[in-house]
Amino acid sequence: MFALEAQHVRKTYGGVTALADAGLRVRPGTVHALLGENGAGKSTLVKIITGAVRPDAGVLRLEGSDVSFSDTADAARHGVAVVSQELSLFPDLDVLSNMFPMREPRRGPFVDRRRMAALARPILDQLGLRVSLKDRVGDLSLAQRQLLEVAKALVTDPRVLILDEPTSALDSKTAEVLLDILRVLRDRQVAVVFVSHILEEVMALCDEVTILRDGRTVLDAAPLAGLTIPKIVESMLGERHAELAETRPEATVDLSGTVGAPDGSGVLRVQDVSVEDRLEGVSLTAAPGEVVGMAGVAGAGHQVVLELVAGLRQPSSGQVLLPDGSPAPKGLRAAIARGVALVTGDRRRLGLMLDKPIWDNAGQVRSVALARDGLLVRKGALRRRAGEHAGRVNLRTSSLDKSAGLLSGGNQQKVVLMKWLQTQPSVLLLDDPTRGVDIGAKAEMHGLVRSVAEAGAVVLLCSTDLDELATLCDRVFVLHHGRVCAELAGETLRQHEILAAMNTGSVATA
Amino acid sequence: MTSSTTDAPRPDVEPAAGATTNGGGPLGVVKRAFGMESASVLVATVALILVIGAIHPDFLDPRQLRDVLQQSVYVAILAAGVAFLLAMREIDLSVGAIFGLTLICSAILMRDGWNPWVAVVAGVVLGALLGLANALIVQVFRIPAIVATLATLSMFRGLSLALSNGQQVVGLPLDHAFFDIFGGRVLGIPVSVLVLVVVAIVLTFVLRTTPFGYRIRSIGSNPDAAAFSGISVARVRIQALMLMGGLAGLAGMLGLAFFGSGDPNIGSGFELLAIAAAVIGGTQLRGGSATVVGAMLGAVLLSVVTSGLVYFNIPVNWSSFATGAVILIAVGIDSLLRRRREARAAAAGL
Ligand SMILES: Nc1ncnc2c1ncn2[C@@H]1O[C@H](COP(=O)(O)OP(=O)(O)OP(=O)(O)O)[C@@H](O)[C@H]1O
Ligand SMILES: [Mg+2]
Repeated sequence: MFALEAQHVRKTYGGVTALADAGLRVRPGTVHALLGENGAGKSTLVKIITGAVRPDAGVLRLEGSDVSFSDTADAARHGVAVVSQELSLFPDLDVLSNMFPMREPRRGPFVDRRRMAALARPILDQLGLRVSLKDRVGDLSLAQRQLLEVAKALVTDPRVLILDEPTSALDSKTAEVLLDILRVLRDRQVAVVFVSHILEEVMALCDEVTILRDGRTVLDAAPLAGLTIPKIVESMLGERHAELAETRPEATVDLSGTVGAPDGSGVLRVQDVSVEDRLEGVSLTAAPGEVVGMAGVAGAGHQVVLELVAGLRQPSSGQVLLPDGSPAPKGLRAAIARGVALVTGDRRRLGLMLDKPIWDNAGQVRSVALARDGLLVRKGALRRRAGEHAGRVNLRTSSLDKSAGLLSGGNQQKVVLMKWLQTQPSVLLLDDPTRGVDIGAKAEMHGLVRSVAEAGAVVLLCSTDLDELATLCDRVFVLHHGRVCAELAGETLRQHEILAAMNTGSVATA
Repeated sequence: MTSSTTDAPRPDVEPAAGATTNGGGPLGVVKRAFGMESASVLVATVALILVIGAIHPDFLDPRQLRDVLQQSVYVAILAAGVAFLLAMREIDLSVGAIFGLTLICSAILMRDGWNPWVAVVAGVVLGALLGLANALIVQVFRIPAIVATLATLSMFRGLSLALSNGQQVVGLPLDHAFFDIFGGRVLGIPVSVLVLVVVAIVLTFVLRTTPFGYRIRSIGSNPDAAAFSGISVARVRIQALMLMGGLAGLAGMLGLAFFGSGDPNIGSGFELLAIAAAVIGGTQLRGGSATVVGAMLGAVLLSVVTSGLVYFNIPVNWSSFATGAVILIAVGIDSLLRRRREARAAAAGL
């Protein structure tokens, strides 16, 4: 008996087939992985199950009886809760109001905030989300917002809980907390569906797996026990199964000439920099050709370093020298004009114009903000350049005229990378650049980042993905409470060492 | 523009679906000339003219239609500027007051013996400066433009009244070439209408092909992402509000040329008409897009409504109600047409 069953689901958007024949069968008391590469249709299937999108065909059964939900609120009433990939919070409301959208407990005609708080607090604590119930959601970090989205689903006490890439913005420690909560839910006989591109997590957590490829279920509720990561990757990618080396990514394209070569020494220097309450005496360097990583638990200060280089913050002492030898300017605009690029993982809020076509997004920095193409912006030229870059990052879309908001999550992230590559940056700052990108595309993007470095740019990377830090970077600086506590390279640069240093503030001397 | 080529980076994975949506043909030409968004307001306007004309054939007299067009020029120019502002999620409620104040100031200067050409240039510059004042208030006090310009609306209108002592400004050198040219006609077409056409072309060009135009739409689409891409929201806002003020000044000068005197109350209520015209024309309040031609056609539509109603013997006390009702119907039709088109675009997956 399945808690949730979806069969022969089909959905097309105009000429684009999102789902051709997809199914999903989840037993109660299991965690079920739903996998597939970017654009395979995972989110679409989730949306159809929760009533957010109407399918063209297909049946949906809940504990054996046919159902069809009119919207997500209807689904929630039937015990089906969803944590959607693209966060659906109200940025101007506070944390508490966001936890009970449209179903706040009432006392007479009034919202009963005291009861709401009593219900919400334990769940937030359990998730380790240390925010005040009165904090404005728009001021929270991406990771905090993602956890809040989970809390919002948990508060409905669901029978079926579907999580669409819930850990993509979380650091490994926070992600582990979430995974533990899911294990507890499993023991309480909840059926959990877990969508993720982080296969290590899937292996550690899940019991069964369903894999979608090009909108079809190619592996249906298989027990995970008999599977390995390479086998899973193989059925995700099908014939496209490329050699996904476990080793260091190599430069894949020759970008020489497309990257701005700086005049001075070419080395980015952060010299004894302090920022009140955030950083203390941080020094690090990054040379052209290198990919330098920065790791730390949330709030450890690694992101502050990116903000300093990008001109979003000023140091209270010490200085930040860009590769051309002069201090980092005040303000992001000036930094961008000097060749700094800032690729954000918070794509929907800071990265994209969701209602604009891909080509428009791709030209936003180079042609629009910097006006590098002169006094006129030619649509034809924008499209041509966007087409070239789309080929390079292997963007999967039916047309460059498609609105960015309609792309699958991973492909949206590629558009953000495209728009910065167009500026020919000399300093590439990456803040979780492969959030929600599938394993194949991630390898491609890593190859691209290496190519950018090889072409002579300085690359600084912050990531919540330890694997990414360990394989892509030449050196990794680990920050702990605002100080550099370790510099890892070569032999010592491994996930385990990074994790240990992040959490303890010292390098294991094993 | 290259509307027929569609790049499909991975044609092996998904068929190119967008290739057929921007088709050619005569309809395609019209659509491109007016922009997709303004096609339906044009249809609504023509339909309304024909309906009124069917009942009262006098209305179709070219001279009557010319007057309708002539009367719509001022609001049309303001609406074009408002469309720019709405596209970046800003608004300016003082446009009618700037229109009035520039008109009064230039009239006073001319009466006091300034060369009319100089006075006219001063009027347009004054408009831009008033726009700058709006922008600085928004910037310095960090208040929304809607609040700032609500205040300056009163201030600018108050200045018009104070400077003119609440009286008509008369005694202008009406035989001067300025009044001849800009108050006159060429080949039967009012010169102010020709100016409107030029403004439409220039502004459309600015909106669609300059970094400034792209920045405006970028900001309206996602202000945070725009700032994160290195666009200075503050600077673009200043530029846009100055453009708006300059356009209001230009409209004021055309008004002065036509009326030949300065009424301190002229242009009261134009701000709401201009906003309505921009929205009718297809500029969305949520920002991100604008159509100059649409906004101007929206103003023409409003002008058709007010002039057309004169032909029906509507009791004076009901005329306001009737105007509103007709606007509602026209906008309703327009909106339904637009919905249909958007549904079709969505079905094509774009
Ligand atoms: N509203 C829409 N209009 C048009 N196409 C859409 C729409 N929503 C999704 N698609 C398309 O359907 C396909 C499947 O998208 P979906 O978001 O389900 O992928 P996904 O498996 O969740 O990918 P990711 O791992 O990147 O999140 C993609 O090609 C996407 O572009
Ligand atoms: Mg998805």
